[in-house]
Amino acid sequence: MFDAEKFIDQQVKKVRDEVEGRAIIAASGGVDSTVCAAIVSRAIGDRLLAVYVDTGFMRKGETANVDKMLGRLGVNHMVVDASDEYFDALKGVTDPERKRKVIGEKFIRVFEREAKKFDAGYLVQGTIAPDWIESGGGLRDTIKSHHNVGGLPADMHLKLVEPLRDLYKDEVRKVARALKIEVAEKQPFPGPALAIRVMGEPTRESVAIVREACAVTEDEIEKAAAAGEMKLPWQYFAVLLPVRSVGVQGDIRAYGFTIAVRAVDSVDAMSAVYSKIPHDVLERISTRITNTMKEKVNRVVYDITDKPPATIEWE
Amino acid sequence: MVIDNGGQWTHREWRVLRDLGAESEIVPNTTPLENIKADGLVLSGGSPRVGLNAEAMGKCGEYIDKSGVPVIGICAGHQFMAAHLGGKAGPSKVPEFGKTLVSIDDEDDLFKGLPPTIVAWESHNDEVTELPPDFVPLAHSDNCAIQAMKHKTKPLYGLQFHPEVEHTDNGYEMFQAFIDVCQAHKKE
Repeated sequence: MFDAEKFIDQQVKKVRDEVEGRAIIAASGGVDSTVCAAIVSRAIGDRLLAVYVDTGFMRKGETANVDKMLGRLGVNHMVVDASDEYFDALKGVTDPERKRKVIGEKFIRVFEREAKKFDAGYLVQGTIAPDWIESGGGLRDTIKSHHNVGGLPADMHLKLVEPLRDLYKDEVRKVARALKIEVAEKQPFPGPALAIRVMGEPTRESVAIVREACAVTEDEIEKAAAAGEMKLPWQYFAVLLPVRSVGVQGDIRAYGFTIAVRAVDSVDAMSAVYSKIPHDVLERISTRITNTMKEKVNRVVYDITDKPPATIEWE
Repeated sequence: MVIDNGGQWTHREWRVLRDLGAESEIVPNTTPLENIKADGLVLSGGSPRVGLNAEAMGKCGEYIDKSGVPVIGICAGHQFMAAHLGGKAGPSKVPEFGKTLVSIDDEDDLFKGLPPTIVAWESHNDEVTELPPDFVPLAHSDNCAIQAMKHKTKPLYGLQFHPEVEHTDNGYEMFQAFIDVCQAHKKE
């Protein structure tokens, strides 16, 4: 079976041998990149700078939380607010693959800029196995271009370091526990973030809707799990659909958008089953979303598809 | 060795073998036969329709014919094995994706001690429609008559479903059984 301690020793040694001079790491605050930051910082210390990019697609309170968490981890770090650039770049973009590629390229341009200031020649990424598998290439079909693989521009100047390339999420969590990383059990969150949880163009307005819906969904599910009503799913979130439907709110006709709630159980993200959430919990999510967001949303549906045939995220 | 035909779960096959303590490596299906040095081969699944496209399956045919070690084909690897050895593979009447119930008709080596019905994870548009000569079926599902097959005397196996996927029941046991077959074959 997978030996986390041995893996850490091997990778620290490998990074120490491989990286000359300085490096930056693309840090999202998720378990993959945080594990990577801990390993690489163990190997090269202050020659590493963790760069967190606020794309404007982050969840509620996320940027402030990650900033604090990286501080506690004791890694050299900085937060870059690039939200205007991202919303500009995605103006009119609705195709999911296009979104992922635009976001991937933008990430690299921001990292190149910061690397130059820090005088770094390496970019460390927390890429894991499903990222490059699903991104395709050669015989393998492209299921979705993960921003850190399929979104990389051809003329990138930084050398890539990806210590977790052959691991799946469950193995990364084992490494995270061995390193005593506080986000070891945090649910996965995609790099393109809420931009791919809005079907259609991600604007400040549409992203704000799905941000609130995600916050409600996370909060209700976490409360129910803490109260012993259900087991915490592997991943759980909300998606904003471009579908409008008729409703009645306070004796007045409503014509609002639809939120899809998605929750799945998985081990490695390569296959998944939808979570059998108790109806009472689903109802609380639905009522709270439609009551607090009544101007925008008047219908909530639950996604009951496994992977395959669906993927976990909608785009 | 895991022969990569471009499947989404090729790397999972490598991982399960590694988890079971077997030394394992993923190689492209264009690797020359003389570089295939293994005690057993897994022919992975592939991207859409690859199992019916002999060219895209690289040197898989040579590996089956000449490697001299046990071979297990999974999904596209299974379909290719059937067609290559004189059987037939073609589009499924009802493709299967995700959770499927598979009934084991003959335990043989691969399914020894497993329950008669298991939950298996599928992802296929094509399937084996006619067994090659000297092959016997080992399992079926409602929509697919040949979920598993085996040669009567040689260590050649094919599975339509994906034992390497976490959600398939008893997948690790099936890989362990294949490792046991490889070890027994090595001793002979």
